[in-house]
Amino acid sequence: MIVEGTYSFTGRPQAVWDLLLDPTVIAKSMPGTKELVRTAPDRYQGKMQVTVGPITAAEFAVEIALSDLEPPQRFVMTIDGTGRFGFTRGRARVDLQPENGGTRMAYHADLQVGGKIASVGQRLLDMVSRALLRSGLQALSRELEERLAQDGRTEEAG
Amino acid sequence: MTGAAGWIGRSVPRTEDLRLLTGRALFVDDVHLPGLLHVAFLRSDHAHARLRGLDVSAARRRPGVVAVYTAADLGDYWRTGPVLVQPVPVPGVVFHAATQAPLVRDKVRHCGEPLAMVVAESRYVAEDALADMVADLEPLPAVVDLEAALAPGAPLVHESLGTNLAAHAVQRKGDYDAARAAADLVVSRRFRYDRGAAAAIENRGIVASWDPKSEELVVWDTTQAPIPIRNGLAQFLGLRESQVRVIAPFIGGGFGPKIMMYYPEELLLPWASLQLGRPIKWIEDRQENFYATTQERLQIHDAELAVTRDGKILGVRDRFLHDTGAYDPYGLTIPINSQCTLLGLYDVPSYESEFTVVFTNRPIVTPVRGAGRQHGVFVMERLLDFAARGLGLDPVEIRRRNLLPPEAFPHNHQILFQDSAPLVYDSGDYAPLLERAVEMIDYERFKREEQPRARREGRRLGVGLVSYVEGTGIGPYEGARVTVQPSGGVRVVTGVGTQGQGHFTTFAQIVADVLGVDVGGIEVITGDTREFAWGTGTFASRGIVVAGTACHEAALRVRSKAVALAAELLGPGAQDLVFDGGRVSVRGSPDRSIPLAELARRANPLRGAVRPGTEPGLEATAYFGPDRGSTASGIHAMIVEVDPEAAMVAIRRYVVVHDCGRVINPQIVEGQIQGGVAHGIGNAFYEQLVWDENGQLLNASLMDYLLPTALDVPTVEMAHRETPSPLNPLGVKGVGEAGAIPTGAAFAQAVEDALDDPGLEILEIPLSPNRLFELMQAGKGADA
Repeated sequence: MIVEGTYSFTGRPQAVWDLLLDPTVIAKSMPGTKELVRTAPDRYQGKMQVTVGPITAAEFAVEIALSDLEPPQRFVMTIDGTGRFGFTRGRARVDLQPENGGTRMAYHADLQVGGKIASVGQRLLDMVSRALLRSGLQALSRELEERLAQDGRTEEAG
Repeated sequence: MTGAAGWIGRSVPRTEDLRLLTGRALFVDDVHLPGLLHVAFLRSDHAHARLRGLDVSAARRRPGVVAVYTAADLGDYWRTGPVLVQPVPVPGVVFHAATQAPLVRDKVRHCGEPLAMVVAESRYVAEDALADMVADLEPLPAVVDLEAALAPGAPLVHESLGTNLAAHAVQRKGDYDAARAAADLVVSRRFRYDRGAAAAIENRGIVASWDPKSEELVVWDTTQAPIPIRNGLAQFLGLRESQVRVIAPFIGGGFGPKIMMYYPEELLLPWASLQLGRPIKWIEDRQENFYATTQERLQIHDAELAVTRDGKILGVRDRFLHDTGAYDPYGLTIPINSQCTLLGLYDVPSYESEFTVVFTNRPIVTPVRGAGRQHGVFVMERLLDFAARGLGLDPVEIRRRNLLPPEAFPHNHQILFQDSAPLVYDSGDYAPLLERAVEMIDYERFKREEQPRARREGRRLGVGLVSYVEGTGIGPYEGARVTVQPSGGVRVVTGVGTQGQGHFTTFAQIVADVLGVDVGGIEVITGDTREFAWGTGTFASRGIVVAGTACHEAALRVRSKAVALAAELLGPGAQDLVFDGGRVSVRGSPDRSIPLAELARRANPLRGAVRPGTEPGLEATAYFGPDRGSTASGIHAMIVEVDPEAAMVAIRRYVVVHDCGRVINPQIVEGQIQGGVAHGIGNAFYEQLVWDENGQLLNASLMDYLLPTALDVPTVEMAHRETPSPLNPLGVKGVGEAGAIPTGAAFAQAVEDALDDPGLEILEIPLSPNRLFELMQAGKGADA
């Protein structure tokens, strides 16, 4: 399954970069993320819970490894999630480019999905993953705006 | 030899239906035993992966879990299964055997292969325990595409074989190259016929119960082959055959996959029952069924047909790939069936057919109703359609010109069939079948009036008419025991299992005619190895031919015994006896008669002397094994309406004219055909297993895997013709698969006829509204 698209943030690439690599922010923003911790500088571990059609609240143990980091422009994520209802694994490339004072993020993920989640959820998988991603990105965007506003206030206060 | 009653040939209502319809028939899941444990299997989510580790310790600790077994726990019992059907000895045949072990030890080869088995106090606990286990699987690239699988450097399903080629065989008749050179027209196409599930209404299930006191293992199993399962289990477990009793009770549909031996579950449940000394049950759920039960097959054919300008067939050449899935326990049965059935009802002077069987990372392929025959029929019938188109002939006419004439029988096709015997059609009379179907579907008038009229109204109607043969009733043998009890009741016991075929009724009809008793007074027992322990099983449309004939022969022996005894009792001149109404009487002297029940009592004297060699009772056992299979035949015709916008196809009429030799029970034959057609329609337009490039099945539920409903399947209009088979005394041929075989070919022809677009060619089955829409768009493009 290929998941790709672009998304525009209001902040600069460095701010977006910091946001994307902060596990507490990701845990808060990505729907279904129950926990996410950094286990090494470029490794994260967590638990996600998703619902795809007839499969409700399927829990996955997720491991994410980052590589090819070029702050604040691009990185590659290797994702490995396994659970009772199947697995998902693959790589995602994230590109950040300055755009009108903000950032344009391009993402391309090539994911393999297997097990029950693929065999009975297939029809909905594409839609569900898009919806999850979209709402995650919107939450991130709000988080970023809050941060920027806070930074602004801090600067003013300073 | 039939009595006055004439039960054979009558639509006697099925005697088993009272039990089935009132919920009193025993199915495997109805078996409840004290202390019963329940099983769930941990199955692989990956199609191809190395098993690096499997931690089951947490599952073992879960309250309610009695045991968890992995490959390591099986010890010496971990071994791969047998090759069930030895490859047909075609000269030069290559066959690489690879069979499955009960639990994965090193490498997963298809999604759903079992990794571990949990035995628990309830199925709920067992299923929960699956989540406690952690399988460390290293994914490997999956082998999915048949041609890529054979390319150098492809990942290997079985490394030890060094290739994904499972088998290769060529069969030839005549000189195809010469035929091709002499032909006025050669049509060649590539055809694809994809996978489907058998989708029996009842999934598989097993209850195994080892009684340590009697040292007997009783297994209830949804198998089509209880006797071979018993023998195999005894061997596997180191028991005597007499210690193992396998019961195949009522079963909600077999269709082929339930003939497979041995499913991992079939070995593991009995083994675990022996370990634990407790009864254990496993009932397959629908999702497991999509992975753990064997399936139909993908084949890709590159085929060509050489004809003269007046449409006479000179020869056929076919090269095809056959997907056997991850293992090939069933030998060459399916591709050989495809190869042999392609020749159909036709006089084909030269034939060259080569197939290559390929291992892939998909579930195992074994016969499903039709067992590869539909693939052969699809290829041949489609080639004839394209040749007719090329020659400007009507599709019916090109078929008419190539039918084998009645004097051609027995007809030797000079190649080997699935039973390793030469492919010889025993009997047939094809032209009347064709003409009757043409008449019933009103072909000429449809083409002349109805189709043009509909077209003027903007409606797209089309007709398809195709033919098929079905090799049925192969050996080796079956047996039966018939007993007239002193109570008067007659008991018929045979080894084949039953999955809805109406055996209880048809076997009784056969025996009733021989013994002159009422069908209602005959009790038929099938599928219990304690009752009868010789035989092979229900498959290849052979029940009525092989087991039915054995019932007939056993009844004749009982009759001979009764005749001998009655002659003594009824006095001088009592040679010519009539069996009727449960009595034996002297012909012409109805007052000189004796009830069969009385004869049964007299045949079992309590005192006095009998002659040496006397067998007590009115009981006899007989076996029947034909030289080879008998060949049934038929024509399917259908009228469809295609919605040119939505590409939905509605079947308006469906006609079947068929010849399964002598018909024992017309209603049961019609039921078989109607059910087969439903299967065929599913196969043609609804049912397709869809895999991604990693070997993941994307529609493993009945939400996404579409079965035709009652609304999609018309009531089939049928006519029977009877050309008795000379290969058995009843003259019968099988009919179990007939309905499902030519449906795809008829459907393709009818849809093309409806759309009347020279750019549209249907070269694949199954279709779907989606796929048909794509083909229609592509057709328009080619036309423009």
